[in-house]
Amino acid sequence: MEPIIKVRHLDKFFGAHQVLTDINADIHSREVVVVIGPSGSGKSTFLRCLNLLEQPQGGDIIIEGTSLMDKNTRINDIRTEVGMVFQQFNLFPHKKVIENIMLAPVKVRKWSEDKARQKALELLQKVGLSDKAEVYPASLSGGQSQRVAIARALAMEPKIMLFDEPTSALDPEMVGEVLAVMKDLAREGMTMVVVTHEMGFAREVGDRVLFMEQGVIVEEGAPEQLFGSPSHERTREFLSKVL
Amino acid sequence: MDFRFDIIVHYLPVFLRGTLFTIGVSIVSILIGSILGLGIGFGKMAPKAIYRWPFHSYINFFRGTPLYVQILIVHFGLIPAFYGTTNVLMTSFVALSLNSAAYSAEIFRAGIQSIDPGQREAALSLGMTKWQAMRFIILPQAIKRMVPAFGNEFIVLVKDSSLLALVAAPEIMFWSNTMKGQYLRIWEPYLTAALIYFILTYSLSKLLNYIERKV
Repeated sequence: MEPIIKVRHLDKFFGAHQVLTDINADIHSREVVVVIGPSGSGKSTFLRCLNLLEQPQGGDIIIEGTSLMDKNTRINDIRTEVGMVFQQFNLFPHKKVIENIMLAPVKVRKWSEDKARQKALELLQKVGLSDKAEVYPASLSGGQSQRVAIARALAMEPKIMLFDEPTSALDPEMVGEVLAVMKDLAREGMTMVVVTHEMGFAREVGDRVLFMEQGVIVEEGAPEQLFGSPSHERTREFLSKVL
Repeated sequence: MDFRFDIIVHYLPVFLRGTLFTIGVSIVSILIGSILGLGIGFGKMAPKAIYRWPFHSYINFFRGTPLYVQILIVHFGLIPAFYGTTNVLMTSFVALSLNSAAYSAEIFRAGIQSIDPGQREAALSLGMTKWQAMRFIILPQAIKRMVPAFGNEFIVLVKDSSLLALVAAPEIMFWSNTMKGQYLRIWEPYLTAALIYFILTYSLSKLLNYIERKV
């Protein structure tokens, strides 16, 4: 089957510094791909290229047959199908939780207020925060904020979800509640690309793990293979430090 | 020292008209200045240096030269160039609006750039256009942060409008000068002017404090 995301020979520079070098990857529908690697390895940049929050300088990204590098591609249309969850949540502080979730469906998808509200309430229930609909984000804990952020992304009914270190800014006792929501999502068959330091999550939920270092994909494989018997010295070194 | 309240009372209706002129020209100028300033502020944030340049120069010119000089240039240069003859009312509105636009532009730019880039990224990642992100996410948050700076700018503008006396605009200082000329007195006209400005700016700052608490 044709992969839902195809990445070909992707190059990304910040000024003269090359942060991604010849990245190639296929991500299939309903697959959960986990990207791991040390800080500064380019894994977040790679993820942010997938919805063009970062503009690559070379190569191509093809999502459902549409090239993101094609000048005629309307990136906003692609982004409606690709949800993203950020390390710092990035909830809109001037809007109530329910408005955070409803805004894009109403303004971008042109749903009616009623339909968007219905959907938002459904999603809040799903992430266990039905009682928080009418509060402002400032009164939420980190874990709650991130669950709202996930609900906000899901409200657009995306086909793909990108997670950029979704638990890295959380207090340890709140990591579990966010991972639980993500596990549910994976079980439902959402296509997910997850940049994380949570090796337990990678092992348990990931269909495939990519290990990145210094802007290249060093190794990829099924979790049991990559964690159990990594074939590269650098992968082994990294895993020995984090596991 | 004798202090002649009677001449102040005599001039009160005139001072009242002057005060209304000062208030009017300040309000109109801050409004026009903000609208122009928003555009100039956006221009100064353009991605390419070549597009930023004219806006950058505009701001530098109006912030880098005295309003005194700007009023003279507008009065004796700009307005006659467009209308053949000069006009005090036009000078008043144009000079103050152009000046306040430069300061407003910087307030807008600073306010917009103070919003965490993550807010914009979140909006874009949801499929919003750049303008939707600006309108629904960035501006509403930025404007809250701009309120104190705009308040300051407004107060400065009220005081700076006194320079319009230079071209005989019928505002507070112009009438003080006239009163001084008529009675050859110093304290009465200028203390009255000072008091009126103080009452204006003091009540404005109280009002602005109240607005800041509200938003």
